[in-house]
Amino acid sequence: MMNDGNVTLTLTPAADSPRPLVLTPGQDLRGYLAALLGRAFLFFLTFSSVLAVMLILVFVVIRSLGFLSSSSLMEFLASQSWRPTADPPVFGALAIIVGSLYVSLAALVFAVPLGILAAVFLSDMVSWKVRNVVKPIVEILAAIPSVAYGFFAVLVLAPWLQREFGFSTGTNALNASLILAVMALPTIISVAEDSISALGRELREASYSCGATRMETLLRVVIPAAHSGIIAAVVLGMMRAIGETMVVWMASGNAPQIPHPWWDLAQSVRTLTATIAGEMGEAPETSLHRGALFAMGVLLLLMTLGMNIVSEYFLARAKKAGGKA
Amino acid sequence: MKLRFRGQLDRVFTIATGLSVVLLTLVLLAILGPMVYRGSSAVFFQGTVEFRKMQKNLFGRGDEQALHAEVAETEKVRQQVYEMIDAFKKGVDVEALSEQVRQIHRQFGQDLRDRNLPAGEYTRLRELTRQIRDKLEAAFRSQDINEIKRLVGEVLKDESNPQLKGTSAEKLFAIARQFLQAAGQIDLGKHQEYALALQEAEGILFHSEALPGLLGPRPGEPPAPLVMLRYGATRWDQAQTLLDRFLWVEHWVEEKPGEPLVLQRKPRAELFPEPLRPLFTYVEQNAGKMLHPRRTVYWQFLRDDNVNSHYFGGIGPEILGTMLITVVGMLFVIPLGIISAAYLVECASDGWTMRIIRMGINTLAGVPSIVFGLFGLAFFVLFLFPLLGFAPRPCILAASMTLAVLTLPVMIRASEEAIRSVPATYKEGSLALGASRFHTFIAVTFPAALPGILTGVILSLSRIAGETAPILFTGAVSLGAVPRSLFDPTRTLSYGSYDMAVGDRLGMMVPHNQYGMVVTLVLLILILNGAAIMLRTRVFKKLRGH
Amino acid sequence: MPEEERKDMPTSVLKNDITKPNVRTTTFTIDGRERPANLAGETCTCAVIHSENFSLHYGSKAGVQNITMDIYPCSVTAIIGPSGCGKSTFLRSINRMNDLIPHVHTEGKLLVDGHDIYDKHTNLVNLRQQVGMVFQKPNPFPKSIFDNVAYGPSLQGVRNKGELQNVVEQSLRAAALWEEVKDDLKKSALALSGGQQQRLCIARALATKPRVLLMDEPCSALDPIATGRIEDLMHQLQSTYTIVIVTHNMQQAARVSERAAFFCLGELIEYDWTSKIFSNPAKKETEDYVTGRFG
Repeated sequence: MMNDGNVTLTLTPAADSPRPLVLTPGQDLRGYLAALLGRAFLFFLTFSSVLAVMLILVFVVIRSLGFLSSSSLMEFLASQSWRPTADPPVFGALAIIVGSLYVSLAALVFAVPLGILAAVFLSDMVSWKVRNVVKPIVEILAAIPSVAYGFFAVLVLAPWLQREFGFSTGTNALNASLILAVMALPTIISVAEDSISALGRELREASYSCGATRMETLLRVVIPAAHSGIIAAVVLGMMRAIGETMVVWMASGNAPQIPHPWWDLAQSVRTLTATIAGEMGEAPETSLHRGALFAMGVLLLLMTLGMNIVSEYFLARAKKAGGKA
Repeated sequence: MKLRFRGQLDRVFTIATGLSVVLLTLVLLAILGPMVYRGSSAVFFQGTVEFRKMQKNLFGRGDEQALHAEVAETEKVRQQVYEMIDAFKKGVDVEALSEQVRQIHRQFGQDLRDRNLPAGEYTRLRELTRQIRDKLEAAFRSQDINEIKRLVGEVLKDESNPQLKGTSAEKLFAIARQFLQAAGQIDLGKHQEYALALQEAEGILFHSEALPGLLGPRPGEPPAPLVMLRYGATRWDQAQTLLDRFLWVEHWVEEKPGEPLVLQRKPRAELFPEPLRPLFTYVEQNAGKMLHPRRTVYWQFLRDDNVNSHYFGGIGPEILGTMLITVVGMLFVIPLGIISAAYLVECASDGWTMRIIRMGINTLAGVPSIVFGLFGLAFFVLFLFPLLGFAPRPCILAASMTLAVLTLPVMIRASEEAIRSVPATYKEGSLALGASRFHTFIAVTFPAALPGILTGVILSLSRIAGETAPILFTGAVSLGAVPRSLFDPTRTLSYGSYDMAVGDRLGMMVPHNQYGMVVTLVLLILILNGAAIMLRTRVFKKLRGH
Repeated sequence: MPEEERKDMPTSVLKNDITKPNVRTTTFTIDGRERPANLAGETCTCAVIHSENFSLHYGSKAGVQNITMDIYPCSVTAIIGPSGCGKSTFLRSINRMNDLIPHVHTEGKLLVDGHDIYDKHTNLVNLRQQVGMVFQKPNPFPKSIFDNVAYGPSLQGVRNKGELQNVVEQSLRAAALWEEVKDDLKKSALALSGGQQQRLCIARALATKPRVLLMDEPCSALDPIATGRIEDLMHQLQSTYTIVIVTHNMQQAARVSERAAFFCLGELIEYDWTSKIFSNPAKKETEDYVTGRFG
């Protein structure tokens, strides 16, 4: 091993042409400029996401300005009568806004308990191996394109509902919210599971050592401790549901009405997204109708932005809580 | 006691959580199962001779001679169907018979004029056939068998008239005799009913105004303007359905007043009198021989264009359009996503700029897809294109760019995670050797993060391929030519699936094509996602093993 | 290293400066000419690394404080001290690896070859090429053995295949790894054993031809045999390189180093000849530590 001593010294330190340790911009102008420009270029590209958000806001708002300035905002938000092609046209979006919230909330009613149970199952009940089998199921549910869900809703679920429950139409709020629940589930499960499993073992052990069963530990200690993450999960699920287009367009029946009585899910409703999707093709450019649809887009954007901020807030809190534990 | 109760409660809770996952699995199976099963029948099915005829005529596939032989063979079996129906028509279709008789009478008058007979002779013969005609028409209209017998008997007396021998008027006697024979076997009061029922049965068997039938049009008939009417049932499952409709009549009956209607079935044969009933048994027994079902793999479904709103053909242009939109979109997303992720990981220094960028990405991820559609329309189509001198109309490029913006957060997040998960020691090792940050990224970090980045690429790919709402106004059409450039709109699998599900009633008649379209989309996306999941587990294993 | 072996070394002349005992002045023969090892052309008794009131903070937390010390060329300098005392931090400051950690700021001076490396115009690439580093855990790139060693030279623009091969061979020989891997240079570096990987990392560092080699607990993840080999290697290398090693193994420090610095709680407590530190330390804390009375 020591026999290569002579070779050692042929490998001399780089003393013959040392590169200067200090290079002022003046000495290495090209390198300096390249680094500066390169960095600026990369920053610009990275900034494009922010740029996109701003462009989306600006352009959707600009297109709706014509409508918002010439028509009454009060009518838009408070009237239930949506007759864009009548003369004179009436743009009352209240029923549609309520419809959007209605199906999304109904979807959450189905999805949240199921999602939390599944999240608990994945985080606390099963081994890593089982989890690795179940996780892809959730991921596949998330991956199926929304139009395929819509397809299922129209061609399979709607006839089934009509046949089994004797509804007058299979495309109704129940159908849409069931499918939306399935679509929101992956989001809810993964975010809730992250926050539940981030809490760490100490908390659970403390509870077990007080003689609590697993259910009590989970329901009375773990889930309350993970409430920030779970709230974030619910808000994100709501975002997913309220922004979904194809499913509600295909499955909700598209009747611009507020269900009466309010709990009757078998009635058809219509959502903001479905209205935009369905009527944009018929609304002539620069017409009030098109402006109204863009105004709906603005409304949708505002709703999701708000929910985004709420979810970010709770996610940050969940992160902090997880970090502490 | 209380402890036992708590223990049981705990067990119930455990089971409930397990059930939630079971439910999820069932939902997944309920959604995918029927879809895959019915969708796969677009490619794998029992194709009939009509299918092979259609393939030959529309797409030029198959062996001409073998097809001819097969068609001849089936026509031989079908011949009897035609004959039975024609024979029955002789007794039933009085309108047609009257028309036929009138036609012969006119023809005979023409013939007489051509023979240049003397005026008296001409008038006499003309008068004679007119009487025959009138008697026959009276017989056709009559509902009394005795009167028919009398009238036809009177007509047949003239059969021996030498002046009518060998002329076109001779056909009248044949008609008369056949009618007499047929009339003896049917209920004369139901002429009208029989005619209608026969028309319906023929519609199911051959084709009606708008719908194709079991066997396709009779030979020698002029080709129908709609291509789909020119062929019978091309698939054995379709044939089974049509056969069922042919053999059974369904109607809704109110059994008890006030209660929901009940569906009742009865044999269609009962609508007809005795002489036609064998037709139904014959068709039922010989359907296989008339259609020659054979196992078929129609892989060209993935290549062919469709005919008559997806009645025939495949989804080639839809696949092409989806691929075009996806590839062009990825051209924007991949570099932008990787560069953004690299910048976020490697150059993250200034607190507030980073926070703004991160907020931007999160916001972008939360924007509803339909709003991306509005944005694409307002920005790319109506603002950017006119600015750059292109026609402001929806097209592939606009759709791709819209989807690229939509999927950018997916790409950034996945790449960022991948780059972040590269062990810091690799980077330190490289930097300590005097590599610049840029070089370190290119030579060390990027290759190590590549599997993770690929996962992101695949996920974005599947997202772009599956989205529908953003391309509604920016580049998708339900019908139209195959795009020639990026400035043409295109059909896509996603929009096609929507259109097939709700677009028109014709889609409902070809569920295999309907499901075939959506299942192609779903499988494409699931395969992509499966690949991503596998790639990711392998990366994790490698990193944990290291 | 035995005296007769030193005589055998054809290209190096070792001169002992009698006025300053134990401080060797080394000159190298390169391209047939004799040159002093120091760039400035001064005698090598002057320090390669000169730190003056150097402090480094992570955010509000102090990493090291007011370090003033000189590190001399062609010798091994050991930095010892309890864990968390800032010895690695100081080592990593010398080639500015701490820059990777967010919110780091420094005070005071740290000179390498007379240049303040915390000057804002410091070219990090050039600095790190001259101040190489071997890390605590072997960190070969997930590439072949050859590519790992050739990485540094190729960064400096060596594209010629033969030249690269030459450098790789020399570096691997210098790191005493050549005999073990010469037949499968194309094999993945991750397939080597821990000790081999660490020697590969040393070879990789040597291939860039640095003047200073920083070693951050290079043997902490290795078994005793591999440790022995690496210590042998340091003995061999010390005639040509300035080596700074951080170690928590006092025997190791005593075996390999000429000078030793004792750090505690981010401060430099004592810096002297190794023999003196271990036999007759000036400070109470040092004595407590080397005799094992320190936590």
